[in-house]
Amino acid sequence: MALVFKKVSLQSRRLCAVALMMSAALIVTGCATTATGAKQSSIVGLNPGQPLKAQAPAGSVLAVIRYPAVVENSAKDSYYKAFENSAIGGAIGRGSEASEVEGIADSVIVKSNYFALSLYKEMAARLPEHTVLLSPHAVKLGADGQLTSEPFTKAESLPSVVSVDFATYSFPDVSKMMGSEPLTFGDLVTPLVSVRTDHIASTPTQGVLFASAPLIPYAAGNGRNDAVDSLKTLQRGQLEAGVPELDFISYLTKGERVNVAAASLRSGLKENIVTAYPVEKIKLDGVALSQLEQSNDASVDPLERVFSDAMADQIVHIINNTDTKRAVMANKAAAISSYDPSLAALTYVGSDEVDYNARLRYAERLLDAERKYLSVQSLRVFDGVHNGEMGVQMRDMILAEYDVLEERRKLARKQNQAAAFAVLGAVAAGAAIASGPSGSDCTTVECQRRAQRTNAGNAVLTQLAIQGALIATQEAIALNSRSKAIGRNYLSSIVPALEQQTSVTVDLLDSSETITAIRYEDLKSKLQNLYSTRQRSLDTVATRCGFNTGSGSVGTWMGVCEGGQANGSGAGVVQNSDGTLVEYYGYASGGMPNGAGLMLVHSASGSQALEGNFVNGRAEGPIRVSKSGQSDRIRSYSEGQDIGASSALPASPFNLSVVR
Amino acid sequence: MRLSFIFLSCAAAIGFAALPAFAQSSAGEVGALPAAYSAPKQAQRNPDYCINILAEFPADDNEIRYQFLRLTEEMARDMTPDFRNALDKYGDWQISADSSMLGVIEDIANPVLRQAAPEITVANMAYVIDFATICEPFISGQIKSLEAFDGTLTEASFNAVIVDDALFLRQILSDSMHRLGADGDALFAGSVAAYSRALVTTRDAAEFLSFEDELGDLEALYMDDLDGRLKRSNDVINEEMDTEVLGDAIALNDSLMEAEKRKAKERQIYSLIRILGGGG
Repeated sequence: MALVFKKVSLQSRRLCAVALMMSAALIVTGCATTATGAKQSSIVGLNPGQPLKAQAPAGSVLAVIRYPAVVENSAKDSYYKAFENSAIGGAIGRGSEASEVEGIADSVIVKSNYFALSLYKEMAARLPEHTVLLSPHAVKLGADGQLTSEPFTKAESLPSVVSVDFATYSFPDVSKMMGSEPLTFGDLVTPLVSVRTDHIASTPTQGVLFASAPLIPYAAGNGRNDAVDSLKTLQRGQLEAGVPELDFISYLTKGERVNVAAASLRSGLKENIVTAYPVEKIKLDGVALSQLEQSNDASVDPLERVFSDAMADQIVHIINNTDTKRAVMANKAAAISSYDPSLAALTYVGSDEVDYNARLRYAERLLDAERKYLSVQSLRVFDGVHNGEMGVQMRDMILAEYDVLEERRKLARKQNQAAAFAVLGAVAAGAAIASGPSGSDCTTVECQRRAQRTNAGNAVLTQLAIQGALIATQEAIALNSRSKAIGRNYLSSIVPALEQQTSVTVDLLDSSETITAIRYEDLKSKLQNLYSTRQRSLDTVATRCGFNTGSGSVGTWMGVCEGGQANGSGAGVVQNSDGTLVEYYGYASGGMPNGAGLMLVHSASGSQALEGNFVNGRAEGPIRVSKSGQSDRIRSYSEGQDIGASSALPASPFNLSVVR
Repeated sequence: MRLSFIFLSCAAAIGFAALPAFAQSSAGEVGALPAAYSAPKQAQRNPDYCINILAEFPADDNEIRYQFLRLTEEMARDMTPDFRNALDKYGDWQISADSSMLGVIEDIANPVLRQAAPEITVANMAYVIDFATICEPFISGQIKSLEAFDGTLTEASFNAVIVDDALFLRQILSDSMHRLGADGDALFAGSVAAYSRALVTTRDAAEFLSFEDELGDLEALYMDDLDGRLKRSNDVINEEMDTEVLGDAIALNDSLMEAEKRKAKERQIYSLIRILGGGG
């Protein structure tokens, strides 16, 4: 009897040890996840087959697609550091080595460079010829030593209704590759997107219309900085198109944050509210991937059906809902100023004068020529990266990653089975022990013999169950470590290929820009000559003079002037003593807003727009008020004060039929 | 002051000299103009009016005929009933029924005549405008037929010169009306001013067309050149790409994967022995 108890207690101790070991093993391995992704983006089906209803204003493009294409050598350390410190989708463990984080950071750029072209292809198929441009950015250190990005090409020198920032993202911790964290690897892609227009067209959101949720405050901050920069330029009497850095870079560097109202994707586009796009890990189209496996065909796009097609529809929907004239007016004036400074500032509001319209037509035609020229460059960037050897290698790389990921998924499934066996073994052992030694209440010899036989059998079974559990646990641990090793090995093996992709991208873009820029300068000078010889005189010209809104501060007016004061149409900017920045587009007299106008007010608490009639700098009568988080409202104003709701139609400086 | 080469070639083709220089040489004949310019109104009522006049147009050269038809068509542009009535009031000349259309146009271009007798210029313009208005279906039909026969006739640069000639003649009409004081006429001042504005707009459009033509050539040249250069550059860069790098990386990864598999198997066997041997 005592022997039996001793044996049982020994087995219990052993089971406890196994249970402890298994618990540790399960903590280490966990229930292995298999890096799953959504079958398609949540954006699919929201605006299917959305036809383009808007027209690109003359001399403008409808969309520019911006993406990080390369990181300059001098900026690499800063980029890696920022990438590691600004993870999206979770906390970073201590398992990653610096070289692994760098590998992931590099692959983010390489993949962005490739997958951005999928979106470009879809946009180009939907929008009129030459109205969508590519703007690859170089991530670099700015003059202040901070990480920033600058466009490689002149694509952003032209006015565009919207600009679309695109990047793919991977969580910077290799140990979490198989988890739920964002990943762009193999058949998984995590896109980061933001769509913005000029702040004049969507003042309360700083121009941001749609953005991946984590990017929103940074995209708004980026928009605000761009607006402030362009106003400072205007204050110096210059019209220049500002080019904001990529929102993804603003996010990584934790740039300026501006809080703006945001709503979910399902609630649709809303005035003065940013549509928040969730960070989602999307599975590439399986059919397309198997087609790619059979033949590396550039026309097969595994991102198209699950993301790009729907995102392009969404962007068209955004363009349809954007005031295209306001979206381009500032950058258009800046672009025209390189040909005709005395005309440029008049274009903000426009005129029905014959001489003005004749001259504007020429200027717009020149911008159209530039637009077509730069569009050729975009098409060739697409061709060079997507259809050439670079694209072939990229598709091979995706397939190789896919194999690695599938292998890891297989191992994860085995690991889960092993863990399940381990649990079952432990449960079986536990059950055998719990059933306890039998025969203690036997009174006959036969009964005691039977009980001894049963106990011996139980002991063997328990031993087997414990050993099975141990083997399964060991297997789970081994599979987990093998899976991680595979991930690490791949990242270290692929480094030369990533480096090659980067260096070829640099060569291609550098060469493209050098070739284009030389001829672009030449073309521009020829266009300038053609313009100078053909243009007719203007009866009214735009110049620079004083402007104020009655607050005591004096600003700058670019437009029609008389006696050194704003007097006619144009644009004005003034910074008040409290730091509030006021910009105004419309009619003025005596140096102050007088007549129909659009006034944008940027204060520490946010930005808002007032459109209607102004008297000596103050809103008067029905005014359209645009504030963050609210639809536009028509309010009645008296001497600059809101005195209640109004049902009357406010005046607009952009509608010539409305009384000035 | 001048008529284009096209107009000259039209004139030459029909045997008339419409050169301003020629017109100048006929200055002395102003006073000796045929006295009996019969009223065209009656002729216009003739059902064969359009056919008869069109019969005078050059027929042996499609290009010249086309130019002539387009010129008359362009000369009648921007005509309003008010302005046509003003021409009746300020035009003072009766055109002979046997006058040729080219002769009438030649007289409009005659600098001496338009200086000395703007009312004749106005009457001559009214004659051409009436013809273009009444015979519009014939003219446009013939223009379309010629364009269908020879597609090159629709070329922008070619048509720009015709429009330019028409504008020159229409400008003469506008100047003549001003000289005759129609711009101060309470009844017609508005239509005279509108005609002047229309001339500016048409001139702007014509100039823009020729600008666009020139720009189009420049654009095509630069776009083709850029496209070719970028394509060649892409090809060179892509060709120079070392295609083995990725293959080597994948092969290395495969062998590392294989090694991991082997190692895992060895570890598994060792663990198995350890566990089954009671060492676990």
